[in-house]
Formats: sequence, C-alpha cells, structure tokens
Amino acid sequence: MRKLALFSLVILSGLSVGALAANQIIHQQGRVFSSESMTIKKGEAITFLNDDSVPHNIMSASKGNEFNLGSQPPGTSTDVSFKDVGDVQVLCAIHPRMKMMVKVTD
Amino acid sequence: MPGFSFDRSTLFVAAIAAAGLGIFGSTRISLGNAIVGETHRVDLGQKAPSGIDAIKAQYRRPLTIPFPKNNSFTPEKAALGKKLYFDTRLSVSSAQSCASCHSPGFGWGDGLEVGVGHGMAKLGRHSPTIVNTAWGAIFMWDGRLATLEEQALGPIQSAGEMNMPLDRLVARLSAIPEYKPLFEAAFPGQEINPKTLASAIATYERTIVSERAPFDAWIEGNEKAISEEAKRGFVLFNGKATCSACHEGWNFTNDGFQDIGLPSADVGRGEFLPGVIKMKHAFKTPGLREIGRRSPYMHDGSLATLEQVIDHYDGGGVDRPSRADLMKPLGLSAQEKSELVSFLKTLSSDLSPTAVPVLPR
Ligand SMILES: [Cu+2]
Repeated sequence: MRKLALFSLVILSGLSVGALAANQIIHQQGRVFSSESMTIKKGEAITFLNDDSVPHNIMSASKGNEFNLGSQPPGTSTDVSFKDVGDVQVLCAIHPRMKMMVKVTD
Repeated sequence: MPGFSFDRSTLFVAAIAAAGLGIFGSTRISLGNAIVGETHRVDLGQKAPSGIDAIKAQYRRPLTIPFPKNNSFTPEKAALGKKLYFDTRLSVSSAQSCASCHSPGFGWGDGLEVGVGHGMAKLGRHSPTIVNTAWGAIFMWDGRLATLEEQALGPIQSAGEMNMPLDRLVARLSAIPEYKPLFEAAFPGQEINPKTLASAIATYERTIVSERAPFDAWIEGNEKAISEEAKRGFVLFNGKATCSACHEGWNFTNDGFQDIGLPSADVGRGEFLPGVIKMKHAFKTPGLREIGRRSPYMHDGSLATLEQVIDHYDGGGVDRPSRADLMKPLGLSAQEKSELVSFLKTLSSDLSPTAVPVLPR
C-alpha cells in the first residue's frame, strides 16, 4: 500500500514524464523478454519496459552488475546501466522462463 | 548472497528525496552495482479485451510430450523408470517409493496435508502432483531444482524423505539380478549409476500426462461438454477473478513464484533469493489439472476444499510487502464462487487406472 502511494506521488508530481531515451528496449509482453541476448557498452542503459498485463521482477545476481527492480507494474519502464564488463544473466524472479544475457563491453 | 538486498521502495524513497532537491531529472541511484534509473509510467494504449474464442485458443492441449535433448524418450527407459518409480527399495527403509507420495490413486499426489517421510515423520509441505511435469520449467515448491532429472534424485537422498544415499542405492539395485538387463536395454553400455537412475525415472514421469477432460472437449468445440455454469466460471477465471494471470495455458500454470498471502511462516522461494522482497513466502504456481482429485490444497495443505481456496483468493490473503501485487480482494458473489468451482471441476479427466508394475527380484 505504502509503495503504491509513493508511486502515485511520483506520477502526480509529473516527475516521471520522460520520453523513453534512445536506449535499447527489452519488452516483457507475454511473460517473455523480447530478446534472449543483447550487447551494450559499459555505462549505457537498457530500458526494461513492462508492456505485459502482469507485474514482473527483473533482476540480476551476476557479480558486479547486481540489480533488482522489484515488482514492476504493467505500464512502467526502468533504465538499468551496467558498470562492469562481462556477461550479465538477467532474470525475472517471478517467471522462471524469463531469462536473457546482457553482454557488457568496453 | 551477501550485500544483495534492496527493494523497489528504497529506490522510490531515494527518488522522492532527490526530487525534493530539484535534481530529479538527472538523478541516478547507484546501489553499488548496476545503476537503476527512475521508473517512468508508459502509456501502453487501451488493449481491446480478448474475445472468448481467442481466450479458449490459449488452452488447447499440446499434441506431443516435450523430452529434453539430453534425455530423449525410449520405451525401455520409460519402462525401467516406471519400475523404479514404484519400487520401495529406493528408500533406506524399503518401505517408500516415489509413488508413496505421488500416487496415481490421488491425482499423483498423496491426498495428505503435508507429505510423510522417513520414519512416518511429517514433512514441511504438501506433496505436489507430478502430473504434466514434462512441461515444468523449474522444480519443487521453492524452485530449488532446475531439472526433473535432479528432482528425481532429491527425495531419494533427502534425510527426511527416502533417506537413501545414492552409493548405497546403486549397490542395492546392482544386487537385484533382474534390474541389470533392464538398465542394459535402456542405457546400452552404461551402468547402474545415479545418472541412469535419474534419467529413467524422469523419462517415466514425463509420460504422466493428464488425460482429456470435459474442459478439453469444450475447448475443441463441443458446447455440451461442460455446463453453462462452468463456462461462466471460465470467464471469471480469465477476467474478474484474475486466476489466469498465473494459472495460464492448457496446464494452468506459468511456473511463476508468488506470495498469495497464506498465513504461513515458510519463506519458500525467499530462501534462495533473500534480497528480493516479492520472493518471501512465494511458492511455485501449481497447475490445475485433476485439481478436483487433489485436495487438500496449497503448498501447506491448509485448505481442505476448492470452496475454501476460492474464499482465500476472494479475501486477498495476508497483506504484507511480499504479497503479489495481483493479490487483492476480488468481491466475488456466492454465485460467482460456485461458478469458479464448477469450472475447476471440468479439469478432471476420466483417468484410466495405472497398473502397478511387477518389480525385479
Ligand atoms: Cu516476469
């Protein structure tokens, strides 16, 4: 409940109105990532867009590039950029078939 | 996973704090690892609701059983696997087989609240059915095993379950003369070892598929196969009651992990992903085939009837940070609840009896 309130606050403040940048976008429609793998330069961002009908929980436990987006509601997007060069296994904690590799290069 | 513990609300708090300082637009919140930016709302546009025929098409039965490349089907493997599955000598006490807890008599479960293991001691969770396990993406209530082959060896060795060390089991099976030719036929040139044992049991388990139920006949066009009440239940299942958000497809699961707000202390999937708040108390979504034969329900067997299960979902369960966002009070009427139960009962097939195999001596 608290989380929801915070979320609405951000939206109502008009602060989240930002167009999707020219990042590479990973879609999640139908409980699958739109790509199985993606290559990205260190420091650049991937946009994880939940264009599905259910929440997802995108995360990685790959060393040096750990992150956890928590429960991402449908109709929201979050950018993630990676600091360490290497292969990052990105998963959805909820849906075990959602897996992809992000190759972070120099 | 030390140092891996943060959740979304932390990010939001940080974002709001930053907004107060007027630097929101360029704020990047680093938690020492990958850098997570702020979350944007995105207009996905209005999707037209799917018509009933489009929804029904998502529930068509597959025509073939999927077997993995590294353990393809052979009749010899399945036949050997069946004998092993029903053989009580796989437990240290020689009193329990796989079928003790996953019995064809109870929809391939055991009909108990929680399983019973070595020395008749109660286990912590309900014995899941193994029906349609060939389509499984991940195994055990908490997803701790990745393949059915690994799963087959899990309960055999588990001290609380069959309590049988694998080296001892291999020695015991090797001393049963009639097993030798069966292993040789299934795995030419290989020995009786944990790998061949697991491959055989997993192959047999993959052949255990729920048979055609009245629901399947309806999906394929026979309007008389199920009642009007059950049809209304199917619409609720895919609509107001939101069951299909997790119980999707012909086997009625996407194998996802959700905390559905049952008042149990068991952290489930959270044991393996302690930094991910939504995984606390989360358990794998079970399929619903043969559900009418599989009471009691839930990972802890705490609900005795389908009516109680529907009541649980209608109430939304315990409201806590880990609870799935999809869980919220549904406001179902008594009639709608009974329609859902009618629908669920159409998922039981006329299971033909399973013959217990004659075991090697
Ligand atoms: Cu997901």
